[in-house]
Amino acid sequence: MPLHFKPSAALTLGVELELMLLNTRDWNLAPDADDLLRRAAQNEHRGELKPELTQSMVEINTSVHTAYPALLDELRHTRDVLARHARQMNVALAGGGTHPFQKWSERRIYPTERFLSVSEKYGFLAKQFTVFGQHIHIGCASADDAIYLTHAVTRYVPHLIAIAASSPFYQGVDTMFDSSRLSVVNAFPLSGTMPWVQSWDEFNAYYDRMHGYGIVQSMKDFYWDVRPKPEYGTVEIRVCDTPLTVDRAAQLAGFAQALAGWLFHERPALSADVYLAHSYNRFQACRHGFAGSLIDTTDSRSVGLAEDLQATLRHVRPHARALGAEPALDAIAAAVSGEGNDAAWLRARFTQSGTLADVVRQQSAWFMG
Amino acid sequence: MTTPEFLPSWPLPANSFALFGLLLLAGVVGGRVAATTRILPAITGYIATGFLLGPGVLNWLDERALADARIFADVSLGIIVFELGRRLDIEWARHDRWLLPTGLAESLVSFAAMAGLLIGLGIDALEAAMMATFGVATAPAVVLLVTRELRADGPVTRRTLWYVALNNIIGILGLVVLLPFVEARATGTPWTPAARSLWLLAGSFLLGYVAYLVMTQIARVVGKATAPQFILTVSMIIVTVGAAQMLRLSVLLALLVLGICAHNLDRHHRLIDVRFGDAAELFFVALFVVTGATLRPAQFTQLAWIGIAFVVARFAGKALALIVLRRPAHITGRQATTVALALTPISGLAIGLTQPIFDVAPEFGARLAAIVAAGIAILHVLGPVATRFALLRAGEGEAEARN
Repeated sequence: MPLHFKPSAALTLGVELELMLLNTRDWNLAPDADDLLRRAAQNEHRGELKPELTQSMVEINTSVHTAYPALLDELRHTRDVLARHARQMNVALAGGGTHPFQKWSERRIYPTERFLSVSEKYGFLAKQFTVFGQHIHIGCASADDAIYLTHAVTRYVPHLIAIAASSPFYQGVDTMFDSSRLSVVNAFPLSGTMPWVQSWDEFNAYYDRMHGYGIVQSMKDFYWDVRPKPEYGTVEIRVCDTPLTVDRAAQLAGFAQALAGWLFHERPALSADVYLAHSYNRFQACRHGFAGSLIDTTDSRSVGLAEDLQATLRHVRPHARALGAEPALDAIAAAVSGEGNDAAWLRARFTQSGTLADVVRQQSAWFMG
Repeated sequence: MTTPEFLPSWPLPANSFALFGLLLLAGVVGGRVAATTRILPAITGYIATGFLLGPGVLNWLDERALADARIFADVSLGIIVFELGRRLDIEWARHDRWLLPTGLAESLVSFAAMAGLLIGLGIDALEAAMMATFGVATAPAVVLLVTRELRADGPVTRRTLWYVALNNIIGILGLVVLLPFVEARATGTPWTPAARSLWLLAGSFLLGYVAYLVMTQIARVVGKATAPQFILTVSMIIVTVGAAQMLRLSVLLALLVLGICAHNLDRHHRLIDVRFGDAAELFFVALFVVTGATLRPAQFTQLAWIGIAFVVARFAGKALALIVLRRPAHITGRQATTVALALTPISGLAIGLTQPIFDVAPEFGARLAAIVAAGIAILHVLGPVATRFALLRAGEGEAEARN
């Protein structure tokens, strides 16, 4: 049966944000998702709070927004509600794409039917997937627009990775990556990118074959960097680490929205060549952050990621202005031109304090406000 | 024919190292046997091993050997009580306004239930209060070790350990306050016992605090690397245990205060949360084998029914308080009952504090020892099982974690 794409208002915005739960004694992960969700359910808040694959993760799903400022307000409010309950439970919350020193084998799968089946299907990869990402949904007025945007935004995946990068430490060591989280995602057999299809009909034909082979049961089985989300009527960008603050999470969403606005407006021609360089460019962003270099397949040249990001910010600024997202672009411009991303902040804290537990304590304090 | 001088004399002299090694070997076998039942925690195996080897049954571990082994048990108790103190996060009570009231309630209602039962059985009110005060404190070693064995973590585990720390403080304070009254009744003067209580209380608090200050100053020098911090922590625990014994203070209280200060006062984060790991397990095995060896078969038969009633009243008090206060405390009914069940093991640690009673009021001392010891003996068997069951029931431990 073909997938039906439910259209939504173009450029509407929503965010999924996975957060880590910590105990305040040794700053390791705490398996308290169930209790936190139970307590938070007693409060009024927009959007949804959900469990994730293991019991030390919770996910914030925002409601649908048209502009960055309202999204930021909602994220701050939800963060405050969660932080209040967490403090009452003697646990803490934090952003960050990975927990710096948790041992994946100690994690416990959250006992829902879906998560248990993921665990059964993927074995140890399931517990290793205790990593924390931000997904950004951009509304699309038609299914074909969603296919266009999925391809078009792929060129900017490295930019989004570098801005959000907040996982330099993993399993107790400095990985030398700014974002080590995506290496964990790479292990899944259906990770990567959407195939080069040009329309929703072509996509449906591809999906039917994959479904017919028994490889996928639903769109959720594709762990792609960017994928259409037909039931929401959106394109879902899935490459961002959860930043260290909800402010940065909202800034990323504001940037993605302005970028989508610019892409829809300019309609740059698409070429399958973007996927030739994608893995290399993505690696550069994960490994080096803003200091990475990119291969631009449109004119076959190498360009610095920071330089290309600054240029992109200039291109999309008029659209950001129209959408009320200019402050988000200002903050990102400040990060790329000197302040650095969250990975740099985490490394600086480690240099200063000398223990990863101290780093987690400080990142939690920053997140909870 | 005379024995050559290079050969050892017979019987072989007692040797602490050999004794420690044998305790561990016997304990680890007992622990494995218990673990294979899939119902009993390893601790029950350690205790049963000690009971069998001790003076109560086979007498292979006689009183002298037990006295030699005591040093290992004291070090491991020091580690456990310090660890427990670190779990008493005062900041938590600031954010959860019902945490302290529910903790006080579980202690006081269980005290009232136990005292009421004993008074109902015709025991004098002051004696009943003294015995019930014993019952307030939960055995920190049992709860912490079961937690470690199951790798338990979560809201029930965290709350249980916080209450254990609190009810141990309440238990000690209660005993220290009641002791002068008991002694005054026997000797006519409350002043010497009162002064002793004050010395014990103030001295233990001060010792714990001073040990914390010294520890943080040394931490400035040694830095935050794991190995030096581990040595610093264990050394400070051993020094504080020794100092408390020399000064005739409460080892329990001093180490608890050291742990509480290390967690709550270290504003510059100079101390790291050292994981004691498998090396500390050696000491814990020794502790429970020695604990088992102090049990006597008679404790399970004499006054056993009072002991059982005492244990039931204690659990009922703790469960009632937590269930009644579950709504304001924002905990579920299941969390309330599993916390109460996890708090089942009674602590025998404070028994040392009552030594003066045996000197001035030996009859009361004997009654106290008989009833409280019966309760403690029963809970040495049931307590670890109850705590294990509670944490597994709460979904916070893994039954196979250490198997």
